[in-house]
Amino acid sequence: MSPASLLLPSAQECRMTVTVSASGLGLRYGRTHALDDVSLRLGRGVTGLLGPNGAGKTTLLRVLATAVPADEGAFTVLGHDPATARGRQELRRELGYLPQTPGFHPDFTPFEFVDYVAILKELTDRAARHREVRRVLAEAGLDEVRGKRVKKLSGGMRQRVALAAALVGDPGFLVLDEPTVGLDPEQRMRFREVIARAGEDRTVLLSTHQTEDVAMLCHRVLVMAGGRIRFAGTPAELTARAAGRVWSSTGRDPGAKAGWRTGAGTFRNVGDPPEGADLLEPTLEDGYLLTLDGDPAEVTA
Amino acid sequence: MRGVIPALVVPVWRTLPWRTLGAAGAVGLLAVGLPRLSGAHPDPWTALALLRSAALAFALGLAFLLDDPARHTTTPVPTGRAARTALRVALVAPVAALWWTAVLLLAPGAHRPPTGAVTLEAGATCALALAAATVAVHRTDAPRPGRPAATALLATALLAPLVVSDRWVLFVDPRDPRWATAHEHWAWLLAGAVTVGCLTLGEPLGRFRPTADRPT
Repeated sequence: MSPASLLLPSAQECRMTVTVSASGLGLRYGRTHALDDVSLRLGRGVTGLLGPNGAGKTTLLRVLATAVPADEGAFTVLGHDPATARGRQELRRELGYLPQTPGFHPDFTPFEFVDYVAILKELTDRAARHREVRRVLAEAGLDEVRGKRVKKLSGGMRQRVALAAALVGDPGFLVLDEPTVGLDPEQRMRFREVIARAGEDRTVLLSTHQTEDVAMLCHRVLVMAGGRIRFAGTPAELTARAAGRVWSSTGRDPGAKAGWRTGAGTFRNVGDPPEGADLLEPTLEDGYLLTLDGDPAEVTA
Repeated sequence: MRGVIPALVVPVWRTLPWRTLGAAGAVGLLAVGLPRLSGAHPDPWTALALLRSAALAFALGLAFLLDDPARHTTTPVPTGRAARTALRVALVAPVAALWWTAVLLLAPGAHRPPTGAVTLEAGATCALALAAATVAVHRTDAPRPGRPAATALLATALLAPLVVSDRWVLFVDPRDPRWATAHEHWAWLLAGAVTVGCLTLGEPLGRFRPTADRPT
């Protein structure tokens, strides 16, 4: 059975309007399969993409953002097929992309930089474009620093500039690659607010290492490992995979797949509990860890 | 797409590597102007070598023309890379022409080689630099491909006199009977560089291995 066929649509997927659809995406770097037969369907709202380093998350986002072409497979975004030059251009008109390592022209101010990106997104009416730039800068919380040079801004502020650049032009598909990495808790909360608002009427694909981001923001979650999708479903379904598989003990349990001492001094274990274990309420992170550890053949959504 | 290019002129102008180009241009002017400042009278071969050195210095600066720290942020936009690269070249071309005019004026008049021929050499050298930069952009994910492009150009310039076959003369002086033949070769070089540049001007549609921040 191929991994793609294992990703059966959940009841929620059957109801959703599909805006992004991919089948059999494959991409190799030398002998490494960065993407291996990836199929997915996304609808409006925020979908989280979880996975360890090297899982293929960034590569998947870059393919969907048309920053790099796939070797195999096909996908459409909002009905546009990037296989043709025209389809690619139409797709890019609907796209907002925040890369993992956004770059800036350091002498530009946030206003100038987002304005530059807005021109590249073909917003040519100067007055309307400036209104749009002011709107997204306000949405990203950059009103007060919009005249300051980017090189003088903190890392968190620069990340917000990149988010504003992704949001400009009101794109229908927003691709965000680890936008909250390196941010302090307050900045992460602000980011979550913006992303949640963006997801109200758009398709947002959010790659992250933070399971809290997924728990707080996402209505769906994908888990990737080894270039493949290992899970697709709701955060509740991912959490449910750990039901009955998280337990507390006074010492390290050798049978646990993962275990750590908590602040209370007891051990929290994830795996196959011994009989009579003191079971705990699972979290999304527990479900994620067990999904990574599990046999791909077990994966269903 | 209509109206995008005029709107891009000012921001793209600001993103050009003016400091690098300025430094490269200054080195070129110094190379040609120093003998005049020092009152020396270089022989025809030295005068030609100085002009070639000036052209190479400026071309090394031009290799940085496509450096774009915001490349990753601005790759998937509807305005194509070809249009943006062409705009960069168009913006720098008049500056390059002015600079070359100044170089020719600084060169000692008595021993100045034929202007058209030496301008062809300079044009080919600059076109090679730009072709190296467009290939680097096309084949890699690097936001700043200028350094490898400049290194490749410099290595080519240093090795070419040693490895190029005698049948394909390039570096001769105006008194040499092969002067005209050499400039046919320079014209071919220019045409080849322009062709390669145009072919690699667009968005990379083929595969490339990311060079910076390899995706995971």
